[in-house]
Amino acid sequence: MNPARENILNRVEAALRIQAHRPSPPSTAPIFPAVTNPETRFREEFIALKGELIDNAETLREFLKPFTRIATDDTELVRRTTGEGNASTRDCDLGVTGCDCLIAQTGSVVVSTHSAGGRALSVLPPAHLVIARRNQIVTDLAAAMALLRQRYDGRWPSALSIITGPSRTADIEKILVFGAHGPKRLVVYLGD
Amino acid sequence: MSATTATATQFKRAAAAKAADLHHRGVIQKAISTYDAAVARGKTRFADWENARAHAAAIKWETINHLDRYLEQFERNVLANGGHVFWAETAEDARQHVLALARRHGVQKVVKSKSMTTEEIHLNDALETAGIKTIETDLGEYICQMRGEPPYHIVTPVMHLTKADIAQTFYEKLGTPLTDNAEELTMIARARLRHEFMAADMGITGANFAIADTGMVALTENEGNARLSFSLPRIHVAIAGIEKLIPRVEDLALFWPVLSTSGTGQALTAYSSLIGGPRQPGEADGPQEFHVILLDNGRTRLLADAEQRDALHCIRCGACLNACPIYKNVGGYTYATTYQGPIGSVITPHLRDAHDWSHLSYASSLCGACTEACPVRIDLHHHLLHNRRNSVRRRFDQPIQRLVFQAWLWAMQSPTRFAVAGKFARFAIRLGWANSLAKPWTDGRELPEPPDQSFHEWWGEHG
Repeated sequence: MNPARENILNRVEAALRIQAHRPSPPSTAPIFPAVTNPETRFREEFIALKGELIDNAETLREFLKPFTRIATDDTELVRRTTGEGNASTRDCDLGVTGCDCLIAQTGSVVVSTHSAGGRALSVLPPAHLVIARRNQIVTDLAAAMALLRQRYDGRWPSALSIITGPSRTADIEKILVFGAHGPKRLVVYLGD
Repeated sequence: MSATTATATQFKRAAAAKAADLHHRGVIQKAISTYDAAVARGKTRFADWENARAHAAAIKWETINHLDRYLEQFERNVLANGGHVFWAETAEDARQHVLALARRHGVQKVVKSKSMTTEEIHLNDALETAGIKTIETDLGEYICQMRGEPPYHIVTPVMHLTKADIAQTFYEKLGTPLTDNAEELTMIARARLRHEFMAADMGITGANFAIADTGMVALTENEGNARLSFSLPRIHVAIAGIEKLIPRVEDLALFWPVLSTSGTGQALTAYSSLIGGPRQPGEADGPQEFHVILLDNGRTRLLADAEQRDALHCIRCGACLNACPIYKNVGGYTYATTYQGPIGSVITPHLRDAHDWSHLSYASSLCGACTEACPVRIDLHHHLLHNRRNSVRRRFDQPIQRLVFQAWLWAMQSPTRFAVAGKFARFAIRLGWANSLAKPWTDGRELPEPPDQSFHEWWGEHG
């Protein structure tokens, strides 16, 4: 048995015998302004992040036309909306997944290994299409975390990501470039 | 200043060179002014940024001051999720453990996402020496690795380089055509690194937060390279300093936006991820094994200093570097430490060696801009003062400095002595006796002409 564990915990315990000055408690006022119209807010935020929003079936069909190799997760909602995929995650030009919820406050999409067909399907393909329903929009990040806790407490998926816009980098002279490693295009289909 | 150490001498030499480098100054000022504008916009998304800071400080205080409890809870939950936990007392222990894991699993290639903790323990060198190909996949870190340089800044690794510098590096190392287009450069890196992700056996990440009540690590990034690193390879290793703990997963509803806002001005970075173990039954993909390394490496020494314990609240956002007038002038490399700027100056004497690194605490105007910028309200500029006091107490200063300060104290304690000392100083400056003493100052500036009389004398005549 590695003694490091006991050594570190003993040092921590010894260190904490001396009290540190405690900061004054924060106010109970809300940290973020309340989100009043979640759907409108989600649309605004998502589009400002250069996300692409589709909200009717016909536009979805048009969008899908140029993609020849599509990989999908195996959820009922995705199958019903876009049909079965015809390519693997590593060899597709579009990944289609469901999601856990959408966050109005930040225009984000919450995916997990359970809701989005594992880990790679929502990050490896060059484009990512999310099939979501309007009633999946929650107000803010705190509401999203509460929903995840309620859904998964005790049995969490092994990985979750909050996706806020397409992959990006500004490492070179703070110039914004999309598609650094993840999908260059992030598309949400908002159905009923 | 403890100018007798080699590290201090090196700092002074590098600082003098960089402070006079106008090209460097221009590049840094442009990057930081872009950052400043984004952060100012980002803060308006909060109802009250000060209240957000107060909450973040309170949660971190609670965690750090009950760290033993949260570490044990975290460990229990990682194990329950099917992951492994390794406790590393030193950088060497952490390196050896990663090497042992790599050997046991026949790992030939490692992809890494950006992690300052792995920089701290010099993990890449150890892996490369053992014959394991190790590739940095964050664009900025990839550029650093190609150039054989450490990150210039904890959040913005190549803040000091221009497009032209980076194009030149790509041209020399990869043979790609010279371009002044940031998008083209990014796409070159994307294409090259994609192959590495597909072929890698092990993904190594840091951890922005370690969540006690769910046994997860949280990762903040924009590019997607961290997600690929914990999705594709067979093994995922996350290396976390023991101070990275937060109590509950719900705390991220505060810490994710606070870190993004202070780090880059974004409301949230493109990807905020939680990893809670290896692939579970029924999941489509993911690594077979998930390992967390909990690293001490001097952190418990800092914890034992109750006065400066709050320096362990740091979430490594880089805001104090960007706010610091010294950092902007001397640049990241001058510090010669893993963690630069005010937070680096505060913690490095604790994490490494107080004798060799206390000089950094003198590289400050004590303006307090760092303390004001810190999203978890670390009392940075007072800690710089504490480090100075501690270094004098431990006699790291030079005998001549002690003598001068004792003389100064003696003169200041009596009005008569003060008046005589002032008269002597004016006389000495005029006769040039002070020239050699003032040389470090007069090298770059002129000494002012001393007045004919003290203010006290002038007041006596005119008041």
